[in-house]
Amino acid sequence: MSRSLLGTRIRENRRSKKISQTELAKQAGISASYLNLIEHNRRGIGGKTLLALARVLKVDPRAFTEGADQALVGRVNQAAAATPTIACEVDKTEEFIARFHGFARLIGRQYDRAKAQDEALQAVSDQMNSDPFFSEAMHLMLTNITTIKSTAEILSDGEAVPDDLKERFLSNLLNETERLAQTATDVLQHFEPSTQSDGAADDTAPTETILEKNDFFIEQIEGNFISPYDYVARLKLSKPDENEALDALTSYSSIARKLPIDTFLKAAKQQSYNPIALSQILDVSLNVVLRRLAYLPKHDDIPRFGMLECDGSGAVIFRKQLPTLSLPRYGSACPLWPIYRSLSQPLQPIKAFINTPTGERFLTYSITRYVDQNSIGLPSRTNAIMVFTPDYEMFLSKPEIALQTNLAVGLQCSVCPRDNCAARRAKYLLQ
Amino acid sequence: MSKSVLIVEDEPFILEALSFLLKREGLNVIAFTDGDGCVEHIQSIKPDLVILDMMLPNRSGMQILEDLRAIDNFSNLPVLMLTAKGQKKDRAAAEQAGVSLFMTKPFANKEIIRNVHRLLGI
Repeated sequence: MSRSLLGTRIRENRRSKKISQTELAKQAGISASYLNLIEHNRRGIGGKTLLALARVLKVDPRAFTEGADQALVGRVNQAAAATPTIACEVDKTEEFIARFHGFARLIGRQYDRAKAQDEALQAVSDQMNSDPFFSEAMHLMLTNITTIKSTAEILSDGEAVPDDLKERFLSNLLNETERLAQTATDVLQHFEPSTQSDGAADDTAPTETILEKNDFFIEQIEGNFISPYDYVARLKLSKPDENEALDALTSYSSIARKLPIDTFLKAAKQQSYNPIALSQILDVSLNVVLRRLAYLPKHDDIPRFGMLECDGSGAVIFRKQLPTLSLPRYGSACPLWPIYRSLSQPLQPIKAFINTPTGERFLTYSITRYVDQNSIGLPSRTNAIMVFTPDYEMFLSKPEIALQTNLAVGLQCSVCPRDNCAARRAKYLLQ
Repeated sequence: MSKSVLIVEDEPFILEALSFLLKREGLNVIAFTDGDGCVEHIQSIKPDLVILDMMLPNRSGMQILEDLRAIDNFSNLPVLMLTAKGQKKDRAAAEQAGVSLFMTKPFANKEIIRNVHRLLGI
């Protein structure tokens, strides 16, 4: 949330605690009329007054001043953009979230589900268009139907049909009906889902959900108290989800083995979280260092790093979101993101500061590596990752930060207000 | 003398129904179930109309059509293509290859008889 809506958050907090405006003003040592102006975002606030209000309301002052959940803002705005026939007050999204956080989360969740279902429908459509089994089955069914229709018309059009041919046609009808039933059954079986849905579909992969629940740091795996296999077995996932989770947690475990967290954090602080320096000092690849940055414990002294991983086509494989930067699960992200530039420059690390339309700034590191190079005559597969942090001030000096140029990026065109962007491929829907 | 129609269709039940319908109209029907050697048969039989399925064993209806159109005497022979592959691209390809009429399965008996009469000029 922007600071301009700080008053709204104070008001909601006061109301939730059933404290009157007069009482709060009195205890904080300000006038009730001044508090009224603050709560309606008509007066700025900071310093002693903010601390006093936070003290009376028994909350951490950062709860009022920290940036809003920009990921949620983005999702609510995208939900509005998805139904342009309803004129939503998108200029008041942040206020809406501040006042009705639960409803806003519900909209975000439902938008995610609708999007996931759209993607699933598209996948089915693609499958139907390109699936040889389905194509052949449709051809067979149309052939069956043609026989049944034509034969039935012959038997019912009132014209004379010799008895022997009539019997023959009836037999053909029976045979063809049975073939049609069998083909239809085969098609249904072909499209039967391999896993049961619990109705809680969203656009988050199961592995991301597992890691998200643990804040992307699983102490049992970090300490080698449990193997990824045993950890996944306890979760009782469906077989495909289990395989995916096992792959991801094995990779995570491998990173934790190569770079034990205590050793890594000590070195990271000494090297100002410079991944190139860390790679050299710790004698591991830059790719491993970047991944380790995405798996750090949550602590006030440790910068937060998000991560996006994609394959050579730009399709998202893995993402760790931060509250202030929402990442797309599917395509159509902003093409200016450094991770996409990285795809065209494999093995070349890219450091870039990016600025989002909402004013947040992130330090990013990206690299693309070759996944396999053993296939002569076939293209090598590539894999790109980008880690990003809004907490660069924790390890970079102000002069260093001042020297960096900003790259103005968006989330995706439909919710990006930047004018005259050369990379725009779809119009901004929220104006 | 009755006109002759050569049908190339690999589905035996459809072939039976079509043959019955056309014979009932007084036409002489010759049937094949395989695309292989079809052009040679057509050259020797010289039918007044060919009804071609698109998907056939060994040689597709499209290949047969292209081969026929490359032969001087058969460049104007009426060819009705009858297929379950009714996508726009299939129709466009058949028209490009010189088909006289493109019909999709399933068809109505009355419709195919009407079209056969039209193509035969009767």
